Amino acid sequence: MQRRKFLSLSGLAAFAAMAPARLSAEDYRTTKPDVWTSHTVDDSIKKLYGSNRYIKEGVKLTAPDVAANGGAIPVDISSNIPTKSVAVFQDANPESAVAVFTVHEGGIVNYSIKMKMKASGTITVILESLDGKLYTATKTLEVALGGCEG
Amino acid sequence: MNPIDKQGNHMKIKAKLKGDIVKVKALVKHDMLTYDTAKKKGLKANFITRLTATVNGKIVFEVSTSQFLSKNPIFKFQFRGAGKGDKIEMTWIDLLGNTKSGKGKIK
Repeated sequence: MQRRKFLSLSGLAAFAAMAPARLSAEDYRTTKPDVWTSHTVDDSIKKLYGSNRYIKEGVKLTAPDVAANGGAIPVDISSNIPTKSVAVFQDANPESAVAVFTVHEGGIVNYSIKMKMKASGTITVILESLDGKLYTATKTLEVALGGCEG
Repeated sequence: MNPIDKQGNHMKIKAKLKGDIVKVKALVKHDMLTYDTAKKKGLKANFITRLTATVNGKIVFEVSTSQFLSKNPIFKFQFRGAGKGDKIEMTWIDLLGNTKSGKGKIK
């Protein structure tokens, strides 16, 4: 089965090779590798933005109070602030960083993702505005069934 | 049943124009295997590390990701500056360097 799967995918590899390599935007995993190995939210934010001073408003973060399945917790993030980037962290897993969005021309800060949390904890969102200020929102939730499997 | 499995695709993209805003929902097929789980199973950790969406050659969505997105992650996002019939293309790359693309049409 594994082999068959591989063969069926190899046809697509040719197609992928044609994809332009001119994605000019920022790959935070390459430019800020330390962010992804940090074990605390504070540390991770500092490594990403070089500061831990943020304004506690302007960002809307929605997640359930109790997540039945920690393997797929729905998280919605939105804001009207002109934004450069948005980062998502949590404090339940071995490392803190979940995702960093880069906002491009025409992009709207209105994201929904599903994330994993091993146990109950707090999700922290940091928004970097175009004028370089940091805004934040947090949400503490209970995770009924921890989800780092899969 | 999972639609991406059914069709053998690795990505499902829905894009809809409402007013001047394009709303996109993308379903990506990937195990998103964390370091912890991989260790337990004796496998190599592997997860999507970056995903981008382009329309007319311009990036409209970009995210760098860790292993803590769900298995078969979902991304919903919105942007301005595209019209009905425009094609949206999404590409991801994972930790092991695999890369896949998918296409959708703005309706």
